[in-house]
Order: sequence, then structure tokens, then C-alpha cells
Amino acid sequence: MASAPFTPATTRITVMQGQARVSAGPRVELSTVLGSCVATCLFDPEEQVGGMNHFLLAEPPAGGAGVDEHYGVYLMELLINEMLANGAAKHRLRAHLYGGANLYPGMEAIGTANALFARNFLARERITLVREDMGGNAARRVDFRPASGMVRCRTVANTLAHDERPSLRPVVSSGEVELF
Amino acid sequence: MTKMTRILTVDDSASMRALLNHALSTSGFDVAQADDGQSALEWLQLNEVDVVITDINMPRLDGFGLIEALRGGTRHRDRPILVLTTESSDEKKNRARQMGATGWIVKPFDAAKLVAAVRRVAH
Repeated sequence: MASAPFTPATTRITVMQGQARVSAGPRVELSTVLGSCVATCLFDPEEQVGGMNHFLLAEPPAGGAGVDEHYGVYLMELLINEMLANGAAKHRLRAHLYGGANLYPGMEAIGTANALFARNFLARERITLVREDMGGNAARRVDFRPASGMVRCRTVANTLAHDERPSLRPVVSSGEVELF
Repeated sequence: MTKMTRILTVDDSASMRALLNHALSTSGFDVAQADDGQSALEWLQLNEVDVVITDINMPRLDGFGLIEALRGGTRHRDRPILVLTTESSDEKKNRARQMGATGWIVKPFDAAKLVAAVRRVAH
């Protein structure tokens, strides 16, 4: 009797708010759940490497003290640099954007601001946006296969989106300066 | 009249350049910007600067290449060069140090710490 072919299990990595993850693993799936947060998926089809970030807010307010890991402007940079460090080329990058919903009517439209920032960022950096599913008032779950660039995005119950407040994870060595 | 400290920031991210420009110019610095190491080298052939702040991962010429080129010449051999990067590996930090970088700052940057570092290394 022929045995069934061995199929390695999928390794699912949850991309939490304030994180960026990159992988070329064929069995790796990057997943996240979004409310007003936005996740960017970047993929280099030639190098077959991909990555995802998950940010809470777009940019710090004018005159703010600085940028931390809650802000898209930092997490976009982090994701792009991680992609380049893993062999991707910036001109080959293809982007997907998800999230940016406004879950609660009457509250500040943070999701709309996040979505606008993400689109503008990609345009400024000349990165091609191939697909987006943003806005509305429903939470989304995103599953991204970084080695193939395949994405599945579906709406889920809003109670599953835990991303509406900054995470309590301490900032690690934010802006630390070491003079040689 | 006191001469303003002139800083060249080198970063391929337009958004990061905008943030740096805001943080440094509102602190009284004269800011020039380049979008990669090659552009920085070309600019530095014609212009004087007090401090260079450079990213590492950039197209054409990365931050390591820029440091190497500046330290290998005569004109900018002693120019303070601060590396501002998302890289956190000790291997890359040590490489920058060995190549002659003046300091290493990990993004996300804190504007007050960045300004303090620039003031400290500016001649």
C-alpha cells in the first residue's frame, strides 16, 4: 500500500500590532486581524519573499517627540528594509493593503486616516499597489503566504479585532544612541 | 553671527526624510537631503557639511559604501557620520564602527536623542 505523501504543516505566524515580519518559507503563513489598523503585504515575485506589517496609526502629530513602533511611517520602513535584507529589490516590490475600517460610528475615523497614509506612502516610495481591501466598518482577517504572494482577506466579527489601542509591549531601545 | 550646523541626511525613504527634516530643521539645523549613498557622494563633492546622518539599506550605494568612500578620501575623512537605521544586529553595528562611523542610532528615532547626538558630534 502506498503511503500518503508527507506534507509539512503550515507554520502560521501572527503579526501583532507594531510588528513587521518577512519570510521566504514556502509553508509559512503570516496572519493578522485588523480593525482600524492597516497591514501592508509586500512581495517580490522574483525573489519569492514576502512580508507583512501591522500598524495602529499613520504618523506622529506635528511637533511630536518622535516616531515609535505604533506608527506606519516606521513600520513601513522596517518592512521595506527587512525585505531588502532578505534579497528583495525595491523596484520589484508589489504591495497589498488591508484594514483601515472604522468600526464604531461617531468615533474619529482613524481607519480612514490610516488607509490614506498607506496609499500615499506607497505612491511616494513608488511601490506598486496591486490590491487593496480597506475601509468599511468591519474587521478583517488577512492570511498571507510570503513565498507565493497569495493573500486571503475576509471579514470577521469586530470583537476579534484587538488592535484599537496601543499595545502595552515596551518600546525596545527606541532611538537609542551609541557613540563610538 | 553664529554659523548654523549643516547636516546631510541620507535615506531612500521619502517619508523618513520628511520626518528627519522636520525634527532637525525645527531644532535650528540647516538640513540637506540625499536619497541614497551615491547621491550623497555627488552632493558632498560640491558642498560642505558638518554632520552626515545615513541609513544603511539603500539602493545604488548603501550606508556602508558611503562610509567607506568618505573615510577613504581626504575631504570628509574626519566628518562625523551617524548611522540611523532599523538594523539592530551587533554584526552590522560593529562593521559600521570598524569602517569609521561616529555613532549608531536605532530607528524608530527619538527626536530629542537624535538632536542631542548631532550637537555632541558636530565640530
